[in-house]
Amino acid sequence: MLKRAAAIGLHAILIIGLIGFFGFRGNISRSEAAESSIAASAYSPRFTGELEHGVTIRVLENDTAIQQGYFEELIDAFNAAYAEQGIKAVDANMDQYLDLENDGPYGYGPDVLYQANDVLMKYVDGNHILALPPDALEAWEQIPASAWEAYQAQGGIYGVPVNIQAPVLYYRSDMIPDNWRDEWDGDKNGVPDMLESWGAMYRFSRGIREGNPAAYGYMKSLWDPYFALGYLFSYGGYIFGEDTYDIGLSAGDAAIGAGVIRQLASVMNEDCIDDTVTKNGYAKLASGEYFAVMTTPDVYTLFTKEFNLAGTPVDNLGVAAVPALPADGDLSGPGAELIPFKVMGGVNGYAVSSYTKAPNACLAFVNFASGYDMMLRRNALLGIVPARADAASEAGGLSEMVNKKLADNEIVIMPSVRALAQVWTPAGTLFSDIAKDPYRPQGEMKYTEAAAFQEGLEKAGQQIYDAIHTLQ
Amino acid sequence: MTKKLRIKPAATADAVITYTVLIAVSFLFLFPCLWLVLASFSGSGSIYSFSGFFPGSFSLSSFGALFTDTAMYNYPKWFMNTLFIAVMSCIIGSVLVLLTAYVMSRFKFKGRKALMRGTLVLGMYPSFMGMIAVYLLMTQFGMVNTHWGLILIYSAGAPMGYMVQKGFFDTIPYAVDEAARIDGASSLTVFLRINLPLSLPIIVYTSLSAFTWPWSDFILPKLLLKQKDLYTVAVGLMSLGETEFARFAAGSVFIGVPIVILYFCLSKFLVSGLTAGAVKG
Amino acid sequence: MLSAIKHGNRKVLLSMFLMGLGQLLYGQIAKGIIFLLIQAMGLWFFIGFGAKAIYGFFSLGALVADPSVGLAGDNSVVMLITGIFAFIMLGLYIACYISNVKGAYNTQLREGCGLPPARFITELKDMADGGFHKSALFLPVIGVCVFNILPIVYMILIAFTDYGGDIVPPALVSWTGLSSFARIISLGQFAPTFSKILQWNALWAIMSTAINYMCGLGLALLLNKPCVKGKTFWRAFPVLAYAVPGFITLIGFKFMFSYGGPINQMITEAGGRAVGFLDLDAKWTARLIGLLVNAWIAIPSSMLLATGILSNMDNSLYESATIDGAGAWKRFKSITLPFVLFATMPVLITQFIGNFNNFGIFYFLRGGLYIDGYFLASDTDLLINWLYNLSIDNNYYSIGAAISLIIFAITSAVALAVYMLSPSYRQEEMFK
Repeated sequence: MLKRAAAIGLHAILIIGLIGFFGFRGNISRSEAAESSIAASAYSPRFTGELEHGVTIRVLENDTAIQQGYFEELIDAFNAAYAEQGIKAVDANMDQYLDLENDGPYGYGPDVLYQANDVLMKYVDGNHILALPPDALEAWEQIPASAWEAYQAQGGIYGVPVNIQAPVLYYRSDMIPDNWRDEWDGDKNGVPDMLESWGAMYRFSRGIREGNPAAYGYMKSLWDPYFALGYLFSYGGYIFGEDTYDIGLSAGDAAIGAGVIRQLASVMNEDCIDDTVTKNGYAKLASGEYFAVMTTPDVYTLFTKEFNLAGTPVDNLGVAAVPALPADGDLSGPGAELIPFKVMGGVNGYAVSSYTKAPNACLAFVNFASGYDMMLRRNALLGIVPARADAASEAGGLSEMVNKKLADNEIVIMPSVRALAQVWTPAGTLFSDIAKDPYRPQGEMKYTEAAAFQEGLEKAGQQIYDAIHTLQ
Repeated sequence: MTKKLRIKPAATADAVITYTVLIAVSFLFLFPCLWLVLASFSGSGSIYSFSGFFPGSFSLSSFGALFTDTAMYNYPKWFMNTLFIAVMSCIIGSVLVLLTAYVMSRFKFKGRKALMRGTLVLGMYPSFMGMIAVYLLMTQFGMVNTHWGLILIYSAGAPMGYMVQKGFFDTIPYAVDEAARIDGASSLTVFLRINLPLSLPIIVYTSLSAFTWPWSDFILPKLLLKQKDLYTVAVGLMSLGETEFARFAAGSVFIGVPIVILYFCLSKFLVSGLTAGAVKG
Repeated sequence: MLSAIKHGNRKVLLSMFLMGLGQLLYGQIAKGIIFLLIQAMGLWFFIGFGAKAIYGFFSLGALVADPSVGLAGDNSVVMLITGIFAFIMLGLYIACYISNVKGAYNTQLREGCGLPPARFITELKDMADGGFHKSALFLPVIGVCVFNILPIVYMILIAFTDYGGDIVPPALVSWTGLSSFARIISLGQFAPTFSKILQWNALWAIMSTAINYMCGLGLALLLNKPCVKGKTFWRAFPVLAYAVPGFITLIGFKFMFSYGGPINQMITEAGGRAVGFLDLDAKWTARLIGLLVNAWIAIPSSMLLATGILSNMDNSLYESATIDGAGAWKRFKSITLPFVLFATMPVLITQFIGNFNNFGIFYFLRGGLYIDGYFLASDTDLLINWLYNLSIDNNYYSIGAAISLIIFAITSAVALAVYMLSPSYRQEEMFK
């Protein structure tokens, strides 16, 4: 019996010994590797300046750029320019909203990514994207510092701004009354008032509704925090202050901004409470049911498509910077002093994945794609606002306006922190609550006085705080 | 004679009620499907130009776009990918689940009840929590971006749902097995020759559900397929732009077609269970 | 196994030392070689991969990766999962080892009775007969172990680490014991939300299971009536609903009930006010719509199942009952219902579980809301949606895993109790 137990014991010792020995040895070789790692510097040492030869880089672009044919032009031009070096750029053929944090470490991500700044900067924490050498960035001089700021972290630059995303107004220029110079140009500056002031827009919208119950002036899915947060910012609110412990939705006179949202909701219909307007805005602007909607510059082509389908001349589609707000927040009032509408914006751009095998070739691609010619082409095909000052001033119009707003600090760039993801649901719930209020029966309205707005904002701020910190 | 006359009105009333209910139920099920089908023929492409439930103008353009405009959204390719995954998972998964259910129903081995309780408990675990682990596992097996990886997961997960089939096998009388066993048939033979042919309805049910799960699943392929040309229809449709509802609807209609065809092919087996004679025999 | 240790002979002892040796000495060449191969593969696996994986399971990594300088470090979560995988392989190895020793001892016993060692062919044949259950269950069990149990074990273990928040790879995760549970218990907002959601979740699971089951059965019975002509045709309507993937159905219904949807359009055209069927004030309408939409999705499949089961019912019982003059309701109550209930009790439980953990329905219909009085949840959210908000949305994996473990413990205890009290578990032979 002893012998047989010993035999089993011996077998067990063999296996345990193997596991112990080889497990330990595997660990030793790991620690040795650690000592040979290189000290970090302001930018990744992998940017040696020497182009890799015979490599293919996979580029992630956004769907609109691919659909409109811009991306094909871009890689064709790049591949022609770099044919001698044997560098080839291809479509990564992946989801535009992919998460590099999930895909990259296992080898399934792209080499170069085009995404929004809050998404890209999320990758910095885990070193999933490379810090770029500023000297080697050809667009360095041309892109304003405020745009670069969106890509700065830990003393490094992690991306190249390509376009500025900020809310703009799309409207039907043919629906502005013919006599607007007399009736709707109080300051006689040659620009219709409803495009300059939310007060005038509110009064104009109410006029349209009273004339025809099936027609609307300004329409927007008001619950959408990306757009609605701007009203809070304009009166002193903010998302994060020093750090994510300081949440400032109710700071300053932000409650006044929340009141503006409720007033705007009252000249719309219930569609503003959910996503309906966001989705039907394109078609209803084309059909003339809506006078104006607010959205980002990069969806321009969706509007032109709907205008063509509806048989409305595209000339009737106007795009303008967002109007200004009355300082007292009373849209129906006689017209208080105007303050700028601070909107939330973002900067989309290119970044280089840490998991690429050819960082220098990727950098060459980023430089090529953010060059003057490609930027102008991008603007022409996609209607986006170039971040390059020279391209923006050449493109003129909207691009110039948005760039000016950015320079004047009237665009609050989305914070590039991970915790931002926790803001959307609490804020969205609050804004849909406010938007719904005018449509509640008289006795059930929640937001009839300023204190109610303040309380709502504080509650939403607390929810954001809870979401970020209670479980930390 | 008088008796017959008295029954007739009752039977007629019964039939009238039955058919009224049937028509009402059929309408309830048909209406949303009809809405989807008609939306796919919408002329404008946008869902918001409808007045009431249905589009104002009709055209075939969304179907045309679905199969010709493939640069960005390669629907035919997605369709073939999905078909491959669903057919393979259906075959492998059905075999595994039928085997499991049969064994659990007919063999009284040690640890059987523990196994039954164990699977029940495992089913209670919220599955999406495990998704993170499944993804990590597949990266280690090198099976991300492969269709076989998905087939493996669907097939391996199928036996967890053996309860339905076991319940069916439990109702097949033992007498049938025992007769065959006396003739010297092995367990495998009894299963293949005696029990399976008696189980056509549940085989049909099993294969239908083993087919529809991968066919319409969205979460797993989204997790494991990174390349757009490997997408399944469900993932592909969800990546369509928000203004392309008609195309979305057209794509959805095409997802439904194979399942309806499968149903019509298999429906006669669905009700061809045991006849009274076979039970008593 | 114990008696093998007590009474095994030299050949068994050799098998204990090295798998397959005893079998070879008994002249069972094929079996011996297979066990030797398993032995070799086992050693190769542990040397090449298993040892490191098991070591990593405990350490969860020591070297932080920095992909920006090309330094591949340790990925804690991968180490955890490969560690579990290696443990499963170790278990499989031990199972092989035991079956090897047992096999050798069996041969010794046969020898004692004067029987020759079993031939390989005979043993293969036995796998299709007496040992049928083992061979048939082998693949399903392996599959379930790797793709169902392993992920669950992984998530359970995550509850005992600090994974989540800022600690996601390449940062290193470490074992923290019970601190996640301590944090949940100390959190004042947690308990009220948990109990509120649990109540609604239980109500939802019971209601939706009952509705889907009874309607499915009713529909199947209706279609089984002799007076219904063209059964395939009538049955095709629910199948249409079955053919549309769930997520498309949900998107479709959400649109129909939205403010700009056709239902509200008709209401406003008729002069009414738009109704917020699913908006933030619509607690009970949203819940009701959820139940109905879920019924629309689930009834077809429960009808198909009931149809299949009904076709297996012994009609002679029914006929004799008819002759005895039993009415339709009595026949249903005393013959059909017990039969169907018996055959589908396990299904009922699986459906109940499925409904209890129904993630999609309110995620698609009414996601993205935090309602007053709930901690990061809305009043239609089920536990699983809340869990999603906490863990995936907010990235707190270890907290999410701890909460899901608590929910899992409660729900599985209840389900297990119901299951073990059910007649189909206690008296499986009732209809045989």
